[in-house]
Amino acid sequence: MASFRHLILLLLYCDGMKTETTPSPQSDPVITTRKVVSKGQNQVTIEELAILKPQTIELSCYLTDIPNNPPYLTGYWTKDGKGIVNSEETVNRTNEQYILKKTFDILAKDLGNYSCIFKEIQTQVTFVLDVPVIKDKRDKPIVSYTGDSVVLACKLKQTPNTWNWYKANNTEKGLINVTANPLNYKIFIHGNETKLTVLNLTEEDSGKYICSAEFDIKPSESYIELKVLSYIEPLKPFIAIVLEVIVLVTLIFLWEKCNKPQNDNISAGENELCSEQISKLTRDDSNGVENNTARQRKLEH
Amino acid sequence: MPRSASSNLGYTPPDGGWGWAVVFGSFISIGFSYAFPKSLTIYFKEIQEYFSISYSEIAWVSSIMLATMYAGGPVSSILVNRYGSRPVVIAGGLMVGVAMVMASFGTTILHLYLCVGVIGGFGLAFNLQPSLTIISKYFLVKRPIANGLAMAGSPVFLSTLAPLNQFLFDHFGWRGSFLILGGVLLNCCMAGSLMRPIKIKTKLPPRKATDEDDTGKLDVTSQRAGQDESKQSGCAAKLSQFIDVSLFKHRGYLIYLVGNVLMFFGFFAPVVFLAPYAKHQGIDEYSAAFLLSIFALVDMFARPGTGLVANTRWIRPKIQYFFSFAVIYNGLCHIMCPLLPGYSGLVVYAVFFGLAFGMVCALLFEVLMDLVGAQRFSSAVGLATIIECGPVLLGPPISGLLVDIFMDYKYMYFACGMMMLLGGIFLFIMNYYNYRWLEKEGKQRKVDELEIGSAKELAANEEDKDNEEEIKRSTAEEAADSTCKEP
Repeated sequence: MASFRHLILLLLYCDGMKTETTPSPQSDPVITTRKVVSKGQNQVTIEELAILKPQTIELSCYLTDIPNNPPYLTGYWTKDGKGIVNSEETVNRTNEQYILKKTFDILAKDLGNYSCIFKEIQTQVTFVLDVPVIKDKRDKPIVSYTGDSVVLACKLKQTPNTWNWYKANNTEKGLINVTANPLNYKIFIHGNETKLTVLNLTEEDSGKYICSAEFDIKPSESYIELKVLSYIEPLKPFIAIVLEVIVLVTLIFLWEKCNKPQNDNISAGENELCSEQISKLTRDDSNGVENNTARQRKLEH
Repeated sequence: MPRSASSNLGYTPPDGGWGWAVVFGSFISIGFSYAFPKSLTIYFKEIQEYFSISYSEIAWVSSIMLATMYAGGPVSSILVNRYGSRPVVIAGGLMVGVAMVMASFGTTILHLYLCVGVIGGFGLAFNLQPSLTIISKYFLVKRPIANGLAMAGSPVFLSTLAPLNQFLFDHFGWRGSFLILGGVLLNCCMAGSLMRPIKIKTKLPPRKATDEDDTGKLDVTSQRAGQDESKQSGCAAKLSQFIDVSLFKHRGYLIYLVGNVLMFFGFFAPVVFLAPYAKHQGIDEYSAAFLLSIFALVDMFARPGTGLVANTRWIRPKIQYFFSFAVIYNGLCHIMCPLLPGYSGLVVYAVFFGLAFGMVCALLFEVLMDLVGAQRFSSAVGLATIIECGPVLLGPPISGLLVDIFMDYKYMYFACGMMMLLGGIFLFIMNYYNYRWLEKEGKQRKVDELEIGSAKELAANEEDKDNEEEIKRSTAEEAADSTCKEP
């Protein structure tokens, strides 16, 4: 038993916290237990729990490594910062650990931040109870063009019962019904991800689209913004850049043509000089040839 | 500098003047060629969603573009040999601009493969090769600086294109961005128009002057190389009209090729995996991206700096050693990387790696110019890029495989470092022998020239003696005549 506790302490040292879920076999409704272990004093620990359906949950805070090892501590619970009445208890030290547990019945209205707080040592452990949150959301709108199509996607770690898509008009949400509009929308659902394809886009299709993951307890929502542009929008900078290129190329070629005639005049003059010198050299050479032949003739004689 | 490489240009390169405008044009072309395929990755996620395809299918776009850019080297060389740099670059700019505009209307992923990958890749190949070739035509003394400045285009454009692409994507989506990028790439045409062909004034014998339209003016897009090689028979002769295949017998060129193939296996993978390695160490995304920015910043300044250093009179004659030193330094950086702890270790690594990467890139084409000379450089670089195509494309996936097998990045870094060390040491040793052989050949040539020279001197002396005798004889005859004529 002691070696097991040492093992837990070792794991703590590496991890900082350890959670396990064990369905408690005591009563008929299955109670899930969540345990967080906190080491030392003046600690604030936050643990996120994804709640998919209404359930009874037992939250436990285990404290270890408290200096001076007082014989008992006082602890109480808060929900969303407000103290829960009659939740204060005295926790005795058991085998160098202090354990504070409480069972909660969680329905949709009960989701929130539950904290166990130990007064004397300012240690707090917060359990964030919420439906799974859809992460990697784009904070910038997705841009597409009229007549084109676009794919909006949402993804979760857990699999909901189903997915629903809504289009938000000001404050209202309108459900997107594929059977009513098969030409404009296509919805693809595959377990923990969903894709909405909007076809034949028009400017009115711009706006906020909400994907909703339906769980027993409460739906989890995320929104994506869509902006539909006409083709004229990117055409304007494109034409501006093409004009700039044409202007620059024309200027460069003109500059070259302006400098060319000057160079031509100079080089023509030089060439005449060059060809004169070359012809002079060749005349001298031919004289040398004549001399040689003359000498040979004389030698022969 | 090896004598054989530089002496057969036939003219003195300007080394300045309009040359700097040409360097600017090359800066733009090279920048687009290297940075554009890498910067397209920002659009991949949305295109992946739009076409409902996997990540590897979209990654093919970048790979096809890079592969075509390297494989298009020889085609580019042939065109440059015939038409000169300027028309090829302008054509390349038009090709890649039109390709991106067409891609913005794409309906299938195949459409993107063809437009962006194949046509775009060829367009970029037509930008890369001619830009390098024209530098070798305009510069000789200051060539390393010119090369360093032009190659600095790659990091500068990467740093500019990445945020620009993000901005365009946020405002116009991927289709609009491709359309606008097509316009931006047309600036390559502007870069091409700066690459004025060199007009040299050669001293032609008079009979030939009448054959030319402009008296005495020749474009140095010469076909002399092809004429020299026409002694070979059959298809080798036909091929060598377009591209100089005799390069494969050039000792220095072969050394360069083997060394480079070894080096490129480990060259690009560390860049690709820098950010993932940082994230694997537990560093957040923004700090990991910041590492890449540090790397690009150091790279930006390392390239012209290396050009300046390589131009000094101590290094220029032995520039091959400098290149092999840069490769070895690169390899050492990678081997040390896994040993450096934490984020500050990675920052130090990014700084040193940026320096090493910039040094190798700045010298990569300068040493090739040094080995084969400006006349054959165009063909040389074309053949080199198509051979380097293999290791460049295989390197990152093989490294990725190493990471997947060992679940640890340090083996990948060791492997890359070892490949680069191997390549660098090979280059160093082989160039040592090459310099010695070149010296011997140079001395032999001098001895031959001396012999020919002394033979010519002897012939000239004999001629002088004959002339003197003739003068004496003619004066004697005149004297005899005059005495005869006097009554």
